[in-house]
Amino acid sequence: MLPRRYPANQVFALLAAAFALLFAIVIVVLAIDQERVRESSQRLQQQTVPKIIRFQRLARNLDQLRHEGEQFFAAETPEDRRQALHLVMLVASHPSIVEHPQAAAAARDTEVFLTETKDLAAQQPASLKVQHAKWQQISRRLSLLVDDTLIEGANLATADLEDVAAAMLLTRYKLMGATALIGGFLALLLFLLRQHLLRPLRRIDRALSSLSVHRPAPKFPDVRLAEIHAVEEATRRLHDAMVSSDAARRELQLLANRDDLTGLMNRRHFMESAAAELRRAQRYGRPTAVALGDLDFFKSLNDTYGHGAGDAVLRTFAELLTESLRQSDLVCRYGGEEFAFLFPESTVEQAHILVERFRERCAAHEIQLPDGPLVRVTLSIGLANAGKGPIEAALQRADLALYEAKRLGRNRVIVAAEAD
Amino acid sequence: MAALRTILLTSAMVSGTPQAADLRVAVRVQDEAQVAPYGELAPSSTPRADLVAATDELAREVCRRIRSRCAISYVTFGEILPGVEDGRFDLGFGNFLRTPEREGRVAFSDPIFRSASRLVGSPATAKTFAARFGQPVSVDNLRGVRVAAMEGSQAQAFLDGIAAGRDLTVVATATTAAAFDALRDGSADFALMSIRSGYALISHDKSRRFGFVGPAVADHGLGDTVHIILPRHRDKLRRSVNRAIAEIRADGTGHRIVRRHFPVNLD
Repeated sequence: MLPRRYPANQVFALLAAAFALLFAIVIVVLAIDQERVRESSQRLQQQTVPKIIRFQRLARNLDQLRHEGEQFFAAETPEDRRQALHLVMLVASHPSIVEHPQAAAAARDTEVFLTETKDLAAQQPASLKVQHAKWQQISRRLSLLVDDTLIEGANLATADLEDVAAAMLLTRYKLMGATALIGGFLALLLFLLRQHLLRPLRRIDRALSSLSVHRPAPKFPDVRLAEIHAVEEATRRLHDAMVSSDAARRELQLLANRDDLTGLMNRRHFMESAAAELRRAQRYGRPTAVALGDLDFFKSLNDTYGHGAGDAVLRTFAELLTESLRQSDLVCRYGGEEFAFLFPESTVEQAHILVERFRERCAAHEIQLPDGPLVRVTLSIGLANAGKGPIEAALQRADLALYEAKRLGRNRVIVAAEAD
Repeated sequence: MAALRTILLTSAMVSGTPQAADLRVAVRVQDEAQVAPYGELAPSSTPRADLVAATDELAREVCRRIRSRCAISYVTFGEILPGVEDGRFDLGFGNFLRTPEREGRVAFSDPIFRSASRLVGSPATAKTFAARFGQPVSVDNLRGVRVAAMEGSQAQAFLDGIAAGRDLTVVATATTAAAFDALRDGSADFALMSIRSGYALISHDKSRRFGFVGPAVADHGLGDTVHIILPRHRDKLRRSVNRAIAEIRADGTGHRIVRRHFPVNLD
């Protein structure tokens, strides 16, 4: 089953959408919490704080009421007591006291008690002392009410502030969680990018950098991104194309350098290779010999058996040459039935032994012609030292020696005289 | 150079005066005798002058805070709201309670303090009432008596609303002082007024015959927050006034003003 692959644009679009969704959820969650904090703060500011202020004012007014009651008893004259009582009644009439049932009752009792005390004192001044003792109880009641009111107001703030603190703490935890979640998502995203994009791209880069016909086709592990897979496939196809191209080039080169009939080097390639080898040998003072060989009576063989037979003789002769000579030796079909040789690292004497042995083998070798008869061919060879001068000069001397071998009766090796 | 100096001077003046135009301010008097010729405030030695002094000082402080030059007129309560409504005054200082009816006519500032109303009368009249009706006198059980109230006040509106059903005679007066005078000259049995006005009048009364009677009330539209009034749709001015009120409250100036004229500070 082929592995399923996904287009990169779809994958990244999906990841981006997932991230956007996650981010949006986080934003919404945080916005909800932020709204909760805002509402709590707003409630604290718009409702609780005014309530607290009202409680504080009530407490202050109650304390003012108690204070004015004390002033009532501190008054020295009936007029002063009357004025103090008016003040008590003014304070007791404040909306903050009137609207609070407990405070209103305490204020009413205070007013009634002080009014009675004023009237009683007008008739019996001594009654003030007795009344003052009773006032102490009312004063304590007012003081307790002041304390209770202050505490009630403070508790309002405490409860609301606890709500705000709890909401902010929850928001903090959620923010940390959201940060971790987003961080994890980004880490996962980076991991996926590395695994499925960066690493495959690096593999492709390495493969392209080392792409060569001398190395096997690059191998890639299975990947999930279609585009990466496509590039890897293209890289493999590129390698295949390079290999095919190289093979074609080699084939063309071979065709350009070989003789069609015998498969030996052609004359042009031989001359290039021989010249290069000769330069190398002469630079290092190494011995080199060249030879020219020509099949004897080849024309009459053609005339007798036909050109097909001649071609068969040439092919067989070439195979015999390939089998007999060293791999380092160069040999080509120089033209017609004429062949040229170059023997690297060989003196004329050593080459003489070699070509003499081959000449004997050739003369003893029977060649099967296509239409049945067996024939034997002999070879005349001119050998020359190529230690000095260009290849053309050495071959010219070898050609003169070949001519001499022909003149002396053929089927022999003649060594050319040394150049002057 | 002279032109540059003129431009700079003009810029400085403009930037320092957000309320460029002068404001016409109405301050409520407690007694018609306080309305002096040419609109100036009567000397402080005038009886009940301290009743208006606190309001006057508050008005001047607000004007200073909003950096406006104010032309103050001292008028009776009943003149302020119509004057603000028809544009003769830009600000009205009369300790106005906020009601839907008034909101349709003028705009209100943020609260400056809270107030309630209370009956003022003689203890003897209160005892007579209690003996006659079998219960102590209060705003909730008023009946068969003459009650004075300042014209245009919430007290008058409340009394007018219940008068027919309770056999009440409402004695409308131009000022709270006049309502108090109605008690003294026997043309009213009780007077219904704000606690501050009531206290000021009682404490200055030489006859010593009157005092608060019955409990104070903050419902029936007779008590709650009191405000400065200003023409509707003057939002910029209203915002400036509100800022001034907040500053005056925050830095304690408001308390100090009240302390200078009242023995206790109630807000």
